[in-house]
Amino acid sequence: MKLLRNRRAMIILAGLIVAANGFFPALWILFTSFKTEVELMRVPITIIPQAPTIENYIRVFVDQPILRFLFNSVVVAVLSTLLCVTCSALAAYALVRLRLPGAGIILSVLLAIAMFPLISMMVPLFQVMRDLGLLNTWWALIFPHAVLSMPVCTLVLISFFQDIPRDLENAAMIDGCTRLGALWHVVIPPTAPGVFTAGILAFVNSWDEFLLALTLSPRVASRTLPVGITLYQGEFSFPWPIISAALIVAIVPICIVIAIFQERVVSGLTSGGVKG
Amino acid sequence: MSDAIRHRLTPLEKSERRLGFAMLAPAFLLLAAVVLYPIAELIRNSFHFNHLAQPWMGTPFVGFENYVKALGDDRFHEAVWHTLLYILVTVPGAVVIGLGLALLANQPFRVKWPVRLGLLLPWALPLVFAGLIFRWFFEYNQGIANAMLRGLGFEPLNWLTSPGLAFFAICLAIIWKSSSFVALVLLAGLQTIPKSFYEAAEVDGATKWQQFREITLPMLRPAIFVALIFRTITAIQTFDIPYAMTNGGPGNSTETLAMYIHKTTIDFLDLGYGSALAVLMFLVSAVITSLYLRHTRRDPGRH
Repeated sequence: MKLLRNRRAMIILAGLIVAANGFFPALWILFTSFKTEVELMRVPITIIPQAPTIENYIRVFVDQPILRFLFNSVVVAVLSTLLCVTCSALAAYALVRLRLPGAGIILSVLLAIAMFPLISMMVPLFQVMRDLGLLNTWWALIFPHAVLSMPVCTLVLISFFQDIPRDLENAAMIDGCTRLGALWHVVIPPTAPGVFTAGILAFVNSWDEFLLALTLSPRVASRTLPVGITLYQGEFSFPWPIISAALIVAIVPICIVIAIFQERVVSGLTSGGVKG
Repeated sequence: MSDAIRHRLTPLEKSERRLGFAMLAPAFLLLAAVVLYPIAELIRNSFHFNHLAQPWMGTPFVGFENYVKALGDDRFHEAVWHTLLYILVTVPGAVVIGLGLALLANQPFRVKWPVRLGLLLPWALPLVFAGLIFRWFFEYNQGIANAMLRGLGFEPLNWLTSPGLAFFAICLAIIWKSSSFVALVLLAGLQTIPKSFYEAAEVDGATKWQQFREITLPMLRPAIFVALIFRTITAIQTFDIPYAMTNGGPGNSTETLAMYIHKTTIDFLDLGYGSALAVLMFLVSAVITSLYLRHTRRDPGRH
């Protein structure tokens, strides 16, 4: 009995270590965001805010165009996700179902191209976007971000499409559906979780991307959240309480997304990694 | 005879094939526009002089001059060396820590979400935010690292302004940020190991350590390999975290190859030279990517 209780305690301890490792930095930032500049100067440092204040949040929204950053991030992430999932779904379906010659090689080529390092694309993309006059527009980020997630989305969707029995589509096509009709009416509904998983991964990848956003959208009004917050310039030094508040504002949406869809995110990440 | 049969496609198969290529078209068009064309442009650029701050010079063809320049560029050599160090420290570091996290997370928890979110949160956090948060941890006056040192009676350290310590701090941030993704991949691998293996080993009187070495590690090899490749591909491109923590400083002591390329092109506006450096970097990661693809290549049409 005692042994069993010990084992229970060990398991809970193991869970606590993993959870603490993941949550600690975000929690620390959360606490910092409610502290005053004066409290931060105190030695020894405090952990829980002694006199919680929301002033930092007010300053983030009033002094900084954080709503603008947020808006840019949402637009870029949503549109690039739609583009990425559409292209990936069509490609994955063609590769799984349409008996194309050399489907395996086509997939490898697709993955190989899409895995080119961002940094080598940054230089020419900067030039191309500059020549097209697209620097500091959403489009400069939407297209590259869509490509960024194409390998993982395609792999996730392939693994989901493979699980749909062929007979289902054949039946639909005998009933007079076209191929695309069959894809839309028969294949997509039962693989909705897969499409959704791919979508979340693409969304998070775009939301988090920094290098291209920094290079292709440097003007303040067109910055995304990661760039806007990192390049935040305080009057004197780096204003940590305000930065913390801004970080919390930027992290919360993504936390909500992964908290709601945690199981799908995990399955998507690992099917792209292990099975793929 | 059999050849003739194989080559005669039914109308249905023909139309399927056409549709198939049409469905692949959007993906490949996007890739052509965002990757292939820019890469061609990159390679062309690397053989030309192209300096945005000296537009009167035009963009003459200079052959391998940019590459030769890289051979004698100390700052480039240092950046390569730093990148290599980051890879050598953070890739094994993240895999070891990730394995530890995966083993801890692979328990029959009654409530699963705290552990799952604990692994997902570092993954979902933008790299550059992880960099900012760790910069805050290592801040001299108000950072938690120095607070702990003071608490233990030591002198506070200049974490981010002395080269060795800055490198250490950056590595720690990278390992924290990337180990949870590794843990998720390894956890999925752990869950494919049949319980009966351990039960049999238990019956034979194997210790926990023996079980780990003889069952867990060998069964986990494929997952560890995938994690290693993934980590290495991203580690070559290390940019965000050192950018946020030190911006390459003090001096250039924590500057990576990606950061140097970024500075060369965006800050110094030397597109020609920056392109040559990017080509060199691309070649290295292509080798590693091909290793990964060889590992995962399979026919998607087959189950």
